[in-house]
Amino acid sequence: MEHLLTIAILLPLASAFLAFLLPAKKPGAIRALALFATGVSLLLTLYIFSQFDRQDAGYQFVKSIEWLPSLKVNLKFGVDGISMTLLLLVGIVSFCGALVSHEIHDRQKEYYILFLALTTGISGTFCAMDMFFFYFFYEMAVIPMYLLIGMYGSLPAGKHGRTKEYATMKLTLYLTAGAVLALIGLLTMYYAGGKTFDMVELKNNLRLAGSTQKWVFACLLFGFGFLASLFPFHTWSPLGYAAAPTAASMMHAGVLKKLGAYGIIRLALPLLPEGARHWVDLLAILCIFNILYAGLAALTQKDWKFVIGYSSVSHMGYVMLGIATLNVIGVSGAVLLMFAHGVMAALTFSLIGFFYHQTHNRNVPDLSGLARKIPFIGVCMVMAAMASSGLPGFANFASEIMVFIGAWHQGSTVFRIATICAVWGIVVTATYLLWAVRTSFFGPFDEKWNMLKDATTLKQKFPYAFLLAVLLVVGFWPRSLTDIIKPSVQRILATNSHRLAQMEKQ
Amino acid sequence: MNLYATQLECLLVILGLGTLLTDAFRPGGDRRKLGYLLATLVTITLLYSFTLAPTADTFFHGMYRLDSFALFFKRLFLLATAFVLLMGAEFVERFETGVAEFYALVLLAATGMLVIASVNDFILLFVALELVTITFYILTAFLRRQVQSLEAGTKYLILGALSSGFTVYGIAYIFGTTGTTNFDKLATLLSAGGSGSAFLLGMLLVLTGLGFKVASVPFQIWAPDVYQGAPTPVTAFLAVGSKAAGFALLLRVMLAGLLPVSAVWMPVLLVLAAATLGYGNLGAISQRNIKRLLGYSSIGHAGYMLMGLAAGNALGSQAVLFYLGQYAFTNLCAFLVIIAVGREEIADYAGLGKRSPILGAALFLAMASLAGIPPLSGFFGKFQLFAAVIEAAQTNWHYYILAGIGAGAVVVSLYYYFNVGRAIYIEEAKDTTPIPVSLPVRAGLYVCMLAMIGLGIYQQPLVEAATLAAGIFGLK
Repeated sequence: MEHLLTIAILLPLASAFLAFLLPAKKPGAIRALALFATGVSLLLTLYIFSQFDRQDAGYQFVKSIEWLPSLKVNLKFGVDGISMTLLLLVGIVSFCGALVSHEIHDRQKEYYILFLALTTGISGTFCAMDMFFFYFFYEMAVIPMYLLIGMYGSLPAGKHGRTKEYATMKLTLYLTAGAVLALIGLLTMYYAGGKTFDMVELKNNLRLAGSTQKWVFACLLFGFGFLASLFPFHTWSPLGYAAAPTAASMMHAGVLKKLGAYGIIRLALPLLPEGARHWVDLLAILCIFNILYAGLAALTQKDWKFVIGYSSVSHMGYVMLGIATLNVIGVSGAVLLMFAHGVMAALTFSLIGFFYHQTHNRNVPDLSGLARKIPFIGVCMVMAAMASSGLPGFANFASEIMVFIGAWHQGSTVFRIATICAVWGIVVTATYLLWAVRTSFFGPFDEKWNMLKDATTLKQKFPYAFLLAVLLVVGFWPRSLTDIIKPSVQRILATNSHRLAQMEKQ
Repeated sequence: MNLYATQLECLLVILGLGTLLTDAFRPGGDRRKLGYLLATLVTITLLYSFTLAPTADTFFHGMYRLDSFALFFKRLFLLATAFVLLMGAEFVERFETGVAEFYALVLLAATGMLVIASVNDFILLFVALELVTITFYILTAFLRRQVQSLEAGTKYLILGALSSGFTVYGIAYIFGTTGTTNFDKLATLLSAGGSGSAFLLGMLLVLTGLGFKVASVPFQIWAPDVYQGAPTPVTAFLAVGSKAAGFALLLRVMLAGLLPVSAVWMPVLLVLAAATLGYGNLGAISQRNIKRLLGYSSIGHAGYMLMGLAAGNALGSQAVLFYLGQYAFTNLCAFLVIIAVGREEIADYAGLGKRSPILGAALFLAMASLAGIPPLSGFFGKFQLFAAVIEAAQTNWHYYILAGIGAGAVVVSLYYYFNVGRAIYIEEAKDTTPIPVSLPVRAGLYVCMLAMIGLGIYQQPLVEAATLAAGIFGLK
């Protein structure tokens, strides 16, 4: 049973090695292997989800292999409610990403190797119970991401004269800058916790003075904040997504970005309570910028991918606001929103990829009346826009409400203001998304788009329908996930307040 | 007993002299095959070296040691030598004459390095160091009709002579104030107290002199020019062998002989490490020639390794050894590709991934490993060095500044390493003819790639060897 989780995580990487041995002349076999690996991973994840003990807030399916005794590193995987939710997200998005990758025709072998390695990097980070391997998998995404964007991406010329090479280099440098900043914090925790990378042991052993906690927390917050596109470290994000090929945008906006927020929830919140108290007000203010500034920036964009790119920066503001509340409902809302936004972003990027592959143009004003030729894609896009704007019935609604309640409940003036701004942010989101959908999918039909072909077969429709179905199922039945998220969040915050109480006693 | 301890060196000398004789007996022989043969023989010597057991005894009146530290470095040098001979064989057409002499000089330099691994006395240190350095003067200028190569040789000669002067001057001060050149006796004397300012001056002079070999500030200027001008196999030997020899000496001198006065040299190394990191990484940004880029990068990597030495703890010294081990595979991989491609401008590498998938993949992996990205071995090397610095920072907060500079250097280095990566995979090739790769080079590349990925994922074997080797210093 414990092995299943390890298999689900490592299967894509093992397949990447296998694909390396296959001849490049047989792209069909390599693609089939990628679909098989991500598909089986998803099925295993679903099985683990079905067997997940909903009463238990701790780690389950724990499997530990001694790796490097001299530094006390263990290859240790396990899932609690938060990891489970996010692992599910990885499974769903990576499988759909592999499905929509049929648009890649050139250098398929390298493409699928990189894609599979990326998948393991992300799921490994979500499930690692050892800080070393957490960081190892976290950084492992760098090479695949750089090459996926650089080799297969496209950036229509004219956007500030930036090329895809610029975009992918910027993304890589920003993410690494964040990672090494976080590394300094993590290593300080390693020594303060009596030389252990094990997250559970660390929870029991870590002793850090309040003043040290403050800067270590800052290292983690801003280090991981780079990846979570926290204002003002977000500028890599819209550009990177715009340049990336469809599946890479889906993986990055959908899942990879969540690693940043996950790192803060998993490591910074429970272990550095005093640091957290110190920084949450500033974090809430930065979130306002994320939500409103990125939202307003999205309003001015013409390129579909830039619109969604800024929109995802804006949505990460809600996630970070949820984290900043430090209460159960807020942080749980943030986790659920990570899931909901991940699915939604993957859906939107895959839809854009669908028509961009045929039109080679994703400028909103150039597109018009597309819904007449591609009604299925049009309907999905309308639904995605509604989900993104937080309409009830979609998972995003449930999670955003939780964040708002959590933030309001937090009580301080900063958070009250942040809540009001965040609610207004939804209006901004609705404005740009509805504008973009209306302009490009409705309105007078332009004859030059006559050659467009809709997704007609079940095989073509499946990834979009699947992602949409996930959003609706979780939207109507959020307890399917919140039931497992909440206990784990509670446990993390309990550790946090328990530590704080301890420190005050001393 | 003394012969037993120096058997590896003796083997190399015999090989070297034998190679010289082939010119007399078979002047027209196939020099490429000779290179392959020598590389194979050195590989066999390397395998044979694993039968030797480390011993705590000293040889030649306490001047020479054959402990686990010495064996670790001897194996590293033998590995590098085998690869350099293979490179030399591939480079045969580009040497006009004297291929056999080239092989012989490489083998003699290797002998010097093997002695360096074992030195336990300042006199032997100087002799071995000069054996290596003087051979390298010839090797760097080996393409005698190329101005660049001659310039490289001259630069290396002048700065090398200057730094040798520093070293020997420093040794004189140390001997003059303590009356001994033996590391063990020195450590005993120093821990008993009493180190005047004349002694400290001598120590600093030795430190800076040895800094020349590892290309650290203030003797780093030569590296880019010499790396660019020297024949590529020699550049590889400089980057892998000579640098490791410098670190072997630094570790042995600082940690075996001068550990009692570590309070003096640790801050010096801290500053030198930071300066070296900054110089190497900032200088590399604008480079267009890949060998020159690797020259700056090698300065940068000297900075990372000095971080481990400056930390002055067990993890730090172990991390330096691990780093050198994996750095050898990574750099050899990069230089093998450069020799196979035969061009030096980074722009010439455009579309290499399509022209030759194996060369493209190998060079990209080498660059990513140098940049320190998992799952490659360079990542774990840097991870340990940072861990060592943070450990030192728990007692002295200044080390956090060093860690911060190191972190910044990692980000900067990613830029220039990935610029090479961009050429390989993203840019379109101007010239799309496939590049032929000979079977021995292919084998060498597979060994290096396997080592980079293998040591990146499963670090235990090298960590264990490095821990054993660094264990002789008894640091905490």
